[in-house]
Amino acid sequence: MAILLLDILTTASMLFIVAAGLMIILGVMKLINFAHGAFLTVGGYAAHVVTAHGFSPWLTIPAAAAFGFVLGVVVERVVVRPLYSRPLDAILATWGLGIIIAQVIVFAFGREVQFAQSPISGTVDLFGTGYSSWRLILIAVAVVLGLLLTALLYLTRFGLNARAVIMNENLARGLGIDSIRVRAMTFGLGAALACAAGALITPLLSVDPNMGLPWLVNSFMLVLVSGIAIPGLALASLVLGGAQVLVSTFVSPIIGGITIVVLAAVILRIKPQGLSRG
Amino acid sequence: MKTLQRIGTLGFGTLALMGALMNSAAAQSTVKIGIPVGLSGANSVVAPSVVQSSQLAADEINAAGGILGKKVELVVADDGSGAQGAQRAFNSLVFQDDVDVLISMETSAARNAGLPIVNRAGKPFIYTSFYEGRSCSPNMFVPAWVPDQQVKPVVDHFTDTLKAKTFYLIGSDYNFGRGMLEFTRKYIEERGGRVLGEEYLPMDGSDWTSIISDLRSKNPNALITSTAGGAPNVTLTKQLRNAGIKIPYGNLAVDEGTAKTMGADATDMFISQSYMTGIASAENKKFLDAMQKKFGGELKTPNDLSVPQYEAIYLYKAAAEKAGSTDAEDVIEALPEVSFTGPRGNIQMNKQHHTPLTMYLGQVKDGGSVEVIKTFENVDPGEQCPNL
Repeated sequence: MAILLLDILTTASMLFIVAAGLMIILGVMKLINFAHGAFLTVGGYAAHVVTAHGFSPWLTIPAAAAFGFVLGVVVERVVVRPLYSRPLDAILATWGLGIIIAQVIVFAFGREVQFAQSPISGTVDLFGTGYSSWRLILIAVAVVLGLLLTALLYLTRFGLNARAVIMNENLARGLGIDSIRVRAMTFGLGAALACAAGALITPLLSVDPNMGLPWLVNSFMLVLVSGIAIPGLALASLVLGGAQVLVSTFVSPIIGGITIVVLAAVILRIKPQGLSRG
Repeated sequence: MKTLQRIGTLGFGTLALMGALMNSAAAQSTVKIGIPVGLSGANSVVAPSVVQSSQLAADEINAAGGILGKKVELVVADDGSGAQGAQRAFNSLVFQDDVDVLISMETSAARNAGLPIVNRAGKPFIYTSFYEGRSCSPNMFVPAWVPDQQVKPVVDHFTDTLKAKTFYLIGSDYNFGRGMLEFTRKYIEERGGRVLGEEYLPMDGSDWTSIISDLRSKNPNALITSTAGGAPNVTLTKQLRNAGIKIPYGNLAVDEGTAKTMGADATDMFISQSYMTGIASAENKKFLDAMQKKFGGELKTPNDLSVPQYEAIYLYKAAAEKAGSTDAEDVIEALPEVSFTGPRGNIQMNKQHHTPLTMYLGQVKDGGSVEVIKTFENVDPGEQCPNL
């Protein structure tokens, strides 16, 4: 029972970490970033490169985040910004971008599975049984990440500007807020979060050119259900991640794999606004 | 303008004629071996090693005078690791290139798609990949292992030496994964053991959380897995190690090279193969040295897929020489009767078109090297094709 609870908590934490970057970008820019899966993959490869050069595995996460931020700012300038007035085309462009990133990775590293050293391995004794220490760390990471993002949005100038842009972009611009800069920073932040998430999940996954893809669909569903708010995303991760673990445990792991998608569709049918709005 | 066109046509005509003449001249002095292989798609990681070992075999045979005095020519075609690509590859090899024989390592889907084309054309086909077993055709021969041969060493070792009574099975949800574990379950029960759980995840699945928790709660003596190669194998192993699972772990889907790159996570894992680079025979040493010399830094580590391919080309040579011709019917008749001693020992495809093989049970050591802990001589493939 304790194990089941831990499985649910850790699965929800992973989902939250992975989906956060997608939600930030969608919230501020009204843009669904379909390159999110590719950004996760880039984070995994960043972790691979860092440990392959003999640096501490703990450095993989900040390194991936830094690389992701730069990548995000460049992508925003080159691909996304020219398409601001054509939101549908912008979504298509991010989809294409995802394919290009995956192919560049194949070109640079080959199709085969790569490996990155884990910061820690093994288990911690908890409630009488050993439980994966890395999964437990992910719970803490998810909580800290949620608090930091909330603080960023509600306690900083950037957050104030971002919320202004979310509410009414034209009015915000009229008040002298540089909305272009807010968008660029947001995309950079979203990409940084995605890459860091990629590095955070590599100790449990393999690094290969398609590693981000299965996460893209689940993140997308979570963000839609969340109603684009941080507490909503946390709730959605717990509900949908929990359902996935329960179905996998008590019904079948194969059906568990589609639980999130099916349940998200049902929730959106009943509450089209998502969990956090009325 | 008219004249120009006429000159053009004339030129093309001459060229085409010359081409045809050269082609027919070439057809008389070469033996064409068609190699449909997954250069793209799922098999793209391992395919280069298979092409390399084929090239070595062809070079060696040509240097020693060819087959019946004719030079060997390899025609490699990409089958895309799947059914559609295989149809195209087999069609063009058989009907356009008019190859004498098909020798290749492929996915089961690609083999199933290519086999009707081979049967229609009546060409000999040596399928050099280990597979789930029981695919039968008068034209097809298999010098690689089937579940009967690979699973038994692992289960026997777990049951006899490690005294395991209860087992847990985990696999990827596809033909090969399910086929292997179905056989494993039957064999465990035959040996008096009990299977406490048998769970699958889709091929692209990467979250083994609930399966590992179930495994832990059932507390079996040993674990046997058969996932798709590559990513699922790695994610499962990592998550098992992260969860602190330390029971004996037999992995039916990992090869020596992958085990090496997996590093510490693979330590203590058991693997069962008909080829290991560490086999101490003169033939294996000669083969490895020749590969190293030919490919140097470009060398892909020889493995349980590329070595049967190398031997199969020699088996074809032996059959053609025994038959005294490269006619398809004569070669097919001779193939089960000839043998070749290669890196894996003496190979003869004489058991219902399948091959008794020496199997090696290896255990991964710290640092990734694989230690052969037991050798099972001449493991019988069992009743694969009773009607052949």
